[in-house]
Amino acid sequence: MGVATYVEFRYSAVMRMTIPVAKVLAALLADPEAPRYGLDLMKLTGLPSGTLYPVLHRLQTAGWLAAEWEEVDPVAAGRPARRYYRLTPEGVRAARPALAELRALAPDGRAPRGGIAPTGAPAW
Amino acid sequence: MVTRRLAGFLLRSAVRRWPAELRDELSREWQGELHVLAERGERWRMLGFAASLAVSRPGAPVVDRARFDARARRTAATLLLAPPTCLAILVLAAVVSNGLVAQVGLVGGRTVPQALVVSALTAVLAVWFARRVGRGAARTALRGRLGPALGVVLPIALTAVAIEYALNETTDDLVRAVPGLVVWLTGLALVLWGVGTLAGWGRVWAAWCLGVLGALVAADVAVVLTVVNHIPAGPDTVIDGVAQGDTVDRISAPLWLFTCWTDWSFGLPRPTREELFLIGDLVELQPFLYLACTPYALAYVVGAARSAGPDGVPAAEPVASPA
Repeated sequence: MGVATYVEFRYSAVMRMTIPVAKVLAALLADPEAPRYGLDLMKLTGLPSGTLYPVLHRLQTAGWLAAEWEEVDPVAAGRPARRYYRLTPEGVRAARPALAELRALAPDGRAPRGGIAPTGAPAW
Repeated sequence: MVTRRLAGFLLRSAVRRWPAELRDELSREWQGELHVLAERGERWRMLGFAASLAVSRPGAPVVDRARFDARARRTAATLLLAPPTCLAILVLAAVVSNGLVAQVGLVGGRTVPQALVVSALTAVLAVWFARRVGRGAARTALRGRLGPALGVVLPIALTAVAIEYALNETTDDLVRAVPGLVVWLTGLALVLWGVGTLAGWGRVWAAWCLGVLGALVAADVAVVLTVVNHIPAGPDTVIDGVAQGDTVDRISAPLWLFTCWTDWSFGLPRPTREELFLIGDLVELQPFLYLACTPYALAYVVGAARSAGPDGVPAAEPVASPA
């Protein structure tokens, strides 16, 4: 297990920082104003759905992430409404130092095993 | 089409693993994503999306862990402490009956039968205790029909064996009591299973009838088995021309449990006074233990089954909702 796989951060008593959590945070922090939906985040992080959604739920429970339904006419759009995720101001404040500390903890300052940078590769 | 249906099935399975209050939104969200993948014709990705959710751990426990743990602790405490409490009831009844019989002495020129007083006091106290425990059983952590039945019977078994071990001087004496206990406990477990099933269907009156009658039959069979195993049917052993009165005629067997409780043959010719003594001396504590534990066992299983409903799953505890 990598040194940074399980790191308890002082920023939050409720958020345990794992590689998937860090990947999601990194993807969201890349453009904190951009709303992201599930498939979008799966593509950005390379995480499978079974990993991504529990992480999203944990981040929401911790108050780091907000979710809202897209206001769209499903008939006109040709698809159901999406659920968009965005970091809350608290989430942005907490996530930046958390990711920085995670990178610092990795040997030689490298990203921890598995990487936390957005991959751009889809993972199902 | 088949992959879409399979993915839908997997998603429904995945949704059920999440807490109830999150399911609607998650289902809507995931169905939306599935729709997009289906429209793109990405069937394998669609299946992978659904399968990954179906096999992964949900983000939150399906039940509140702290609440479940508290419920499990309460259930375990109730089930483990109830049989010793029943035993304490029996001891209390015996002590009080000693005092009563000594005070009252003779009634109508006859000694007040202490067994009857002990039984009556035990029954009253056991029913009182059962009513209290039965109300708490609605918050049991045990699921299904067999769970509550075994949860009740196993601690009773431990208590019964422990008390028999403590009371009997030798292992042989303990072994003598074991077949009767095994029959009673097995019968009681089966009866409780049936009681739980009926009560879960909402047929509470039928459940109580089955429970009372079934428990009486199980207890009676246990007493009969113990007596038949250890006291010959006859004829009496004769020493120096004197019958020793060391046999018990089987014709009165169905009454033996009740004669133990009352020390009375209900005006029938059998069992005789000598037979009453032999039966009571052999089975000693067992019939009274059955009497002390049975009301609690029935009340607990009925209470648990009523709260669980037909599927045998305990009701959720009320949760405070935000205003």
